[in-house]
Amino acid sequence: MTDLDLPEVTDFLAEHAPFAAVPREDLERLGRHLTVRYARRGTHLMSVGKGNDEVFVVRSGAVQITDENGSLVERGGEGTGFGTTALGGQPSRFDVVAIEDSLLLVMSSEVFTDLAGRCSAVRDFFSEQREARLRHALVSLPHQDRHSAVLQTRLRDLLRREPITTTGDATIRAAAELMAREQVSSLLVVDGDRLTGIVTDRDLRTRVLAAGLDTGQPVSAIMTAGPVTSSPDAIAMELILEMTSRNIHHMPVVDGDRPLGMLTSTDLMRLERANPIHLVGDVAKAKDLDALVLLSQRLPRIVDQLVHEDATADGIGRIVTAVGDAIEKRLITLAEQALGPAPVPYAWIVLGSQARLEQGPGSDQDNALVLSDEARPEDLAWFESFAAFVVDGLVACGYPPCPGGIMASNPEWRRPLREWQAMFARWVNEPTPEAVLRSAIFFDLRILHGERRLVDALHAQIAATARQSGRFLAHLARNAAHNEPPLGFFRGFVLERKGEHKDRLDLKRGGFHAIVEIARVQALSRGLPQVNTLARISAASGAGALAPETAANLHDAFEFIRYVRLTHQARQLREGRQPDNFVSPEELSSFEKRHLRDAFHIVRSAQQTVVQSYPLGFVT
Amino acid sequence: MIGGLLGLERRRARWAGQAPPGPVRDLLSTPQPAARTDVAELRLLAIDLETTGLDPRTDHILAVGFVPLDGLVIDLSGATRLLCRADAEVGQSAVVHGITDDALADGLELGEVVERVASALRGRVLLAHHAVIERDFLSAASQRTHGVPLLTESVDTMQLQARVLGSHTGADLPPGALRLTTARAHVGLPRYAAHEALTDALACAELYLAQVARLSGGRPLSLKALQR
Repeated sequence: MTDLDLPEVTDFLAEHAPFAAVPREDLERLGRHLTVRYARRGTHLMSVGKGNDEVFVVRSGAVQITDENGSLVERGGEGTGFGTTALGGQPSRFDVVAIEDSLLLVMSSEVFTDLAGRCSAVRDFFSEQREARLRHALVSLPHQDRHSAVLQTRLRDLLRREPITTTGDATIRAAAELMAREQVSSLLVVDGDRLTGIVTDRDLRTRVLAAGLDTGQPVSAIMTAGPVTSSPDAIAMELILEMTSRNIHHMPVVDGDRPLGMLTSTDLMRLERANPIHLVGDVAKAKDLDALVLLSQRLPRIVDQLVHEDATADGIGRIVTAVGDAIEKRLITLAEQALGPAPVPYAWIVLGSQARLEQGPGSDQDNALVLSDEARPEDLAWFESFAAFVVDGLVACGYPPCPGGIMASNPEWRRPLREWQAMFARWVNEPTPEAVLRSAIFFDLRILHGERRLVDALHAQIAATARQSGRFLAHLARNAAHNEPPLGFFRGFVLERKGEHKDRLDLKRGGFHAIVEIARVQALSRGLPQVNTLARISAASGAGALAPETAANLHDAFEFIRYVRLTHQARQLREGRQPDNFVSPEELSSFEKRHLRDAFHIVRSAQQTVVQSYPLGFVT
Repeated sequence: MIGGLLGLERRRARWAGQAPPGPVRDLLSTPQPAARTDVAELRLLAIDLETTGLDPRTDHILAVGFVPLDGLVIDLSGATRLLCRADAEVGQSAVVHGITDDALADGLELGEVVERVASALRGRVLLAHHAVIERDFLSAASQRTHGVPLLTESVDTMQLQARVLGSHTGADLPPGALRLTTARAHVGLPRYAAHEALTDALACAELYLAQVARLSGGRPLSLKALQR
């Protein structure tokens, strides 16, 4: 005990998180920077909307913390801390009332900031507290109504029975008997654990009965081989869109290659019909560009409606992407009709947010063409006209050109497979910070139309090589951490200082896009095939690249920031303006402001972690 | 007893004229908070002494702990513990306060202790549990080392506790009801290790906050009302 020690204060702090982790000497010093106050039961210590410059720790007694709706957030006794969320005069999100006579240790924001700056345990403790309260906020969001909730059901939750399977060498008769016995209209054809095809009622009608085929023939003779499949994580809305646009009635749900079950249009009968379905159906039938342009103007209304129905940001992203996919596919078909068939096989790929199923209203288009290696110089003219047709059509439908020129209309991004492979090899093996920054978008890649094998080759290459290039991953990680969340330390939001978006808050750069980038590094580092950000986060957590808590926090933060963006964009669309990512603090509710700050804190802490995980020391 | 009939400020002024320049004179010449000062504004210094006994004429100060209060806020940055190098041996009192002769050998001279207390007390009201002890011992020490008494207004948490318990004299209360530990427990304050000067000073300051909250009930409460 030194002359300066206050044992009753120091000992108390040492027994309570997060101060238990602070070295004794620092605690003694901290003790001398505190004040002590007393509050009778019923005293309001903090009030919603009022600023605050102090952090409180309950020395004895108890407090109750409630949110602006009066719902209980926390009730705590000795050692409970509060006040960090409203530091720097920020309006408090909580009411804090002493529910017993309470003795309080109080530290000024300067003392707290200094301590948090020096001691990570203290910093982490209070950021975890923020995260817990953010989760409280997500739970408090208005409940989705039945209508939209139904369409957002995950496919895995729609599967009602074990998959009914047969093998390719079973006879058609045996298959038909199995279908009759199980009262199903279709079968999954498997080879071991792997799905190889499907057989439906219609196949039996048209390919067997009408064709007079011998029912002793193997199922493989009549099955649809390599059928279109869906992921169990897709939502009902996507399934409806997919089935409508392809005019199919059966959809196998597979996890990797393993079939989980079959969903049919009958399964979806229960699900209410909604506008996007009709839109996608109409898009698939559109006669020409003019018709498509008219149809594309329906999208803003749909987004507005979905936001009103409180669909999740993830669900809305998937629906907007499905509509964008449908328009782009229809343009491709129209282009092929106008130009005649392609001279060589090709794949039309989409990149960035569209590839990740995270397109928003007003998203730029990002696309490219992978041509078969057979392509000769004289074939290139066809693809130039083809790309111009689709890209210009997309612009007419409200998808602005990519400012970086990443579009199939740019000859740079219209190449044979071998050149793509060489480019990816260069990006991965000889990374420079600038090249990694520019090429990152190509690592979010999805085939929209054409020869799947061309794109499979690229996926396989990326999965195999990216994880082995420490320098590539380190640069990606550095990029992911480059844009800091627009948040001062306890001082509220950092607004744009100048330009078109002056005094507005960028939700994208250091916000949800930072999470996209973090998820990308983590997925590529483990060779994971997922492209969707939430799927990457959950797969990275499963592969041990992300701690489960971090994954849960990033999931929540990603959803929340995008939810705020969608609300903002829906408002812009209603006012007939071009949607963007810059929101003015005035248009945010206090609820949104507070929880946005929490989400940004999560981003910041995940950025720090990702940089540590892929050390820059490897980078020369 | 003439002095007792004069106003405190008059006596302070008189002694200030006889005090050597320095903290003791500064204390005496700085006005005390006015009687009407509300507790929300009142500046105090909670003090606790550890002594060799109860008689200021024969016993010695071993340790002083003090902590300032600005209104209803205890400022721990001013918390201070002073050990006093005593002439006499500590003897049996070490059993109570745990201060040994060895520890006291490193202590301050009594005169310096008086000056440190006087500096901290300047412009403040002395606050203590059973304040007459602190007041008389400090005054006697000052008399011995500086030739003048330390005169300040004082507030006594023991007396305040009697009022919290609904008693005027305390005589009608069960034995021990006014002891610091018992009083703190009564108002729901945490239990502290007793008989260490600074801890007891802090314990007294916290008790004062709890008492004032009860006695004021949210209404103004003046220094004069505290001393009634």
